[in-house]
Amino acid sequence: MDTITLAGPLEAKLTAIRAAGFTQAMLNAGDIVGHPGGERAAVAAVRASGLRVTGFQVLRDFEGLSGHLHAYKVDVAKAMLELCRALGSPVLLACSSVSAHATGDPDSSIRDLRKLAMLALPLGIRIAYEALSWGRYVSRLDQAWQIVQQADRSNLGLCIDSYHALANPADPGALEDILAPKVFLVQLSDFMWQETRSPEDRIDTARHYRVFPGEGVHSERIAELVRGLDQLGYRGDYSFEVFNDDYRQLPLAMVAGRARRSASWISGVVSRRSLPARRRPASPSALPPKPGAA
Amino acid sequence: MVPMSVDERLPEPANPLGLDGLEFVEYATSQPQAFGTLLEQMGFAALARHRSREVLLYRQGTMNVIVNSHEAGSASPVISAMALRVRDAAFAHRHCLELGAWDMPTRASAMELHIPGIHGAGDSLIYFVDRYTDFSIYDVDFVPLASAPRQPPALAGLHWFGVVQTILNERTADWLDFYRTLFGFTALPEGKSFGILPKGTLLESPCRRFYLQLVEPPPGADEVHWEEGLLRVGLGAPDVPQATAALQKRGIVFIDRGALHPTDKGALSQVYLGGVTFELVVSRP
Repeated sequence: MDTITLAGPLEAKLTAIRAAGFTQAMLNAGDIVGHPGGERAAVAAVRASGLRVTGFQVLRDFEGLSGHLHAYKVDVAKAMLELCRALGSPVLLACSSVSAHATGDPDSSIRDLRKLAMLALPLGIRIAYEALSWGRYVSRLDQAWQIVQQADRSNLGLCIDSYHALANPADPGALEDILAPKVFLVQLSDFMWQETRSPEDRIDTARHYRVFPGEGVHSERIAELVRGLDQLGYRGDYSFEVFNDDYRQLPLAMVAGRARRSASWISGVVSRRSLPARRRPASPSALPPKPGAA
Repeated sequence: MVPMSVDERLPEPANPLGLDGLEFVEYATSQPQAFGTLLEQMGFAALARHRSREVLLYRQGTMNVIVNSHEAGSASPVISAMALRVRDAAFAHRHCLELGAWDMPTRASAMELHIPGIHGAGDSLIYFVDRYTDFSIYDVDFVPLASAPRQPPALAGLHWFGVVQTILNERTADWLDFYRTLFGFTALPEGKSFGILPKGTLLESPCRRFYLQLVEPPPGADEVHWEEGLLRVGLGAPDVPQATAALQKRGIVFIDRGALHPTDKGALSQVYLGGVTFELVVSRP
């Protein structure tokens, strides 16, 4: 689970995540630096929670800047990497830039992501680069993958977020060309309507109306994605990237319980697919019951 | 027409910083006297003292060792830095920062040289030194000890061979990226090794004057405390048995147990002062 889904103080979030049976948590920077006791107290709370840290998010608009804007972003990245290290987070999530000040020149993006990877390297942190579906120049998975490949750094890989592939009609979300070891993180979420019509609509939906996998209307495509990753050989972490205004005004245990049911649903998707008899094109009947339906 | 030799046809590996060997290796310890005695047994002589800090310079032949006790946290000596000889230290520093290295805080006091550097493995630093031909960094920051030799000769031809770096599991590719991108190191093909501890991955400096050895924890070593850092120096010796004998005469003990014993290829000293070892590797300077 991601702390971003839940309301309340960090300790309460971690306790709810743990109580729902999760063993790890994705940490949102706001939950750490917004701790009333300061970030040291937040780090102590995370360490005391017994939860493994999946990753830390999110570094925005890093690539493609120049001059003082680039220098400023390097400072931001360094501070986030230091927080990452203090938290024991193996991954820093970096989203494709939406900045109007950034250039779309791929060489510039590659150079900057290499630099970010180098900054993270001595600290033992990996950079997971994610294509935001409203990214200015990189808005599809295949574009992010191309940049990651060209940058060719051991600790630079991809974050695949199901929402962006589902919400962006231009993103086929194809996994065939992607190498499993270069996928550093997978974030899953669904939403309640069939289409998002514009980038503004995608942003609005992404920030307020996501739901857990199995709760929305794109279960089949999420199941396909998870099975595709499984077949690709991906054995890394999955995290629920669910921004939802309703969930942030509901009791934490209830929301974490919904996440738990979603996790069971995902496990069913993969384990059923792993059976040889099930290895055929996915059909709705191959899906396990939706959370709450059983 | 004179045919080109094989060597001439091979392209030189890129050497973006004009790397030219190791200038010094720095140890940090709160036991400078005990460690100094050990260095003297290894053939080093104390040469000079830093002007403003509790730092001593030792030397033998072409090797300089700095013993830093200024705010040293650990009694057991640890390698806290290595200094690389480069064409232009300011350029090397700038180049590395542009590529994403972390700058180190300046430590120079008034009238002292600022030696630029970056963060390396663990808590260690990598310095850049370009004043090593006509005059040296030590001429400015160090005061010679009375009756100290200027150029103590190397015992049995000892010279820097390299530095061993411990790294965490599955971090070889990361550190290879680090040394390749910043300095132009290249990984030697698997199976090519030197000495008697052929573990991990060997990286050759672009100047071909020293090596770095990256060692991940051995399999099944879950119980062993293993962190990233610079573990030990490797000293090259043209004739390892001769060097081993000379050092044994000075009281240095080499491990001679089971598979690990001094050979023509190399030797490993016992552990001193809670963590220091020296490795000998057959090599010509």
